[in-house]
Amino acid sequence: MNGAAVRPWAAVRRTVAYKEIVKALWRANPISKQILGICSSLAVTVQLETALVMSLALTGVTAGSSLAVSLLRRAIPRNIRIIVQVAVIATLVILADEILKAFLFDVSKQLSVFVGLIITNCIVLGRSEAYALNHPPGPAFLDGLANGLGYSSVLMGVAFFRELLGSGKLFGVAVIPEAFYRAGYVNNGLLVLAPGAFIMIGLFVWLEHALLEKK
Amino acid sequence: MSGSAKSLLFIAGLCLVCSLLLTAASSGLKPYQEKNVRIDRHRNVLLAAGLLAEGRSYREAEIEELYAARIQELRVDLEGRILAGDEGARPEGLPLYLIQEGGEIRGYIVPIDSRGLWGPIQAYLAIDRDGQTVKGFAVTRHAETPGLGGEIEKEWFRRNWVGKKIATREGAFVSVGIAKGRVEEQVPEPKRPHYVDGISGATMTGKFLTAGIRDSLSRYEPVSIRFRRNQIAEWEQKPPPARP
Repeated sequence: MNGAAVRPWAAVRRTVAYKEIVKALWRANPISKQILGICSSLAVTVQLETALVMSLALTGVTAGSSLAVSLLRRAIPRNIRIIVQVAVIATLVILADEILKAFLFDVSKQLSVFVGLIITNCIVLGRSEAYALNHPPGPAFLDGLANGLGYSSVLMGVAFFRELLGSGKLFGVAVIPEAFYRAGYVNNGLLVLAPGAFIMIGLFVWLEHALLEKK
Repeated sequence: MSGSAKSLLFIAGLCLVCSLLLTAASSGLKPYQEKNVRIDRHRNVLLAAGLLAEGRSYREAEIEELYAARIQELRVDLEGRILAGDEGARPEGLPLYLIQEGGEIRGYIVPIDSRGLWGPIQAYLAIDRDGQTVKGFAVTRHAETPGLGGEIEKEWFRRNWVGKKIATREGAFVSVGIAKGRVEEQVPEPKRPHYVDGISGATMTGKFLTAGIRDSLSRYEPVSIRFRRNQIAEWEQKPPPARP
């Protein structure tokens, strides 16, 4: 029996994929460490459902554009590389939007503006410019995926607290018992508004920095 | 070949590939999207009419069947007369939906076209046969912020509208507005039938939608007056042919 079979987790830990994902989730998280993509994380985190679909769409677009840019990296003329990357990203975003409209119509109706705005999300262009342009397709795809997941982790965390404390719900289902409201509990209206998201994201940034420093 | 010529050629090639991809996706997915839009419109017309039970999801076939059985689409002119045949296709005609039950008209539905904070809002307002009591409200398209202005499509907000009056008891047109906050706290007693609870954090959405509803309802006021005076008997006796 080899070591990997006895302790499968240790083998997983040594893979590149694991390291990339942990890095993007934690040490170099796009939102809480690099403070990127703040605009959309303010807008779509009022409810978990919208945050989830947005996370999936952004992760898909980031991974896809990193892959495409990496495949083209030797052919792209350097002087117009930003134009090329934006064209690739815009194409993918429109595709994602069209697919949502055809097959997930109800969610797309709620999200439509923000799916379109993925084009302007710094994370997508940032990963493509900083990483995919100089790395082979495999790692570039992984890097895009990992950063999408890093974005998603903060988005879901913020949405969890905003929906729970702001509306007393999770995924649209009421979780705070009626008895609490009768006893005088009130939903925190501030968390429904954009300033509430700012405070929540600030707390996440502080928490992650504080925890990392201790290590 | 010089550097810039190469760049131009590359970007032209890329744009060609991208546009081919998008064209393929757009035309390939169009039938699905159009069907979704049509069913969503029908669903919201039925929702406004109060013909769908809350908290239950309906299959597409059920929506279409119910719509065909209970809703009649027609066009009226600015004086509230039904446009028949070719007239019905004229652009100045206003679309109107009648709620039917067993050959009797139970009410009518006015399409609302309004401005919103981030884009147009399309909604339906169903009004009872008396020409002044709101039967229901449903939003079919909007681009408002989810959780804030986006709450206009939620059940709690829609429920607000049922039983409100678009006119005074004497029949003078008032429309229904969205209050800034809760109606009981913000609006004096006599005006309460003409206001619904507002959404916190979505003052602008409420303002635009209030104006949009007043606009649309005033355009349909001739129709409403017919209903208020109960001059709709002719519509019931010989219903115009349903549109194909």
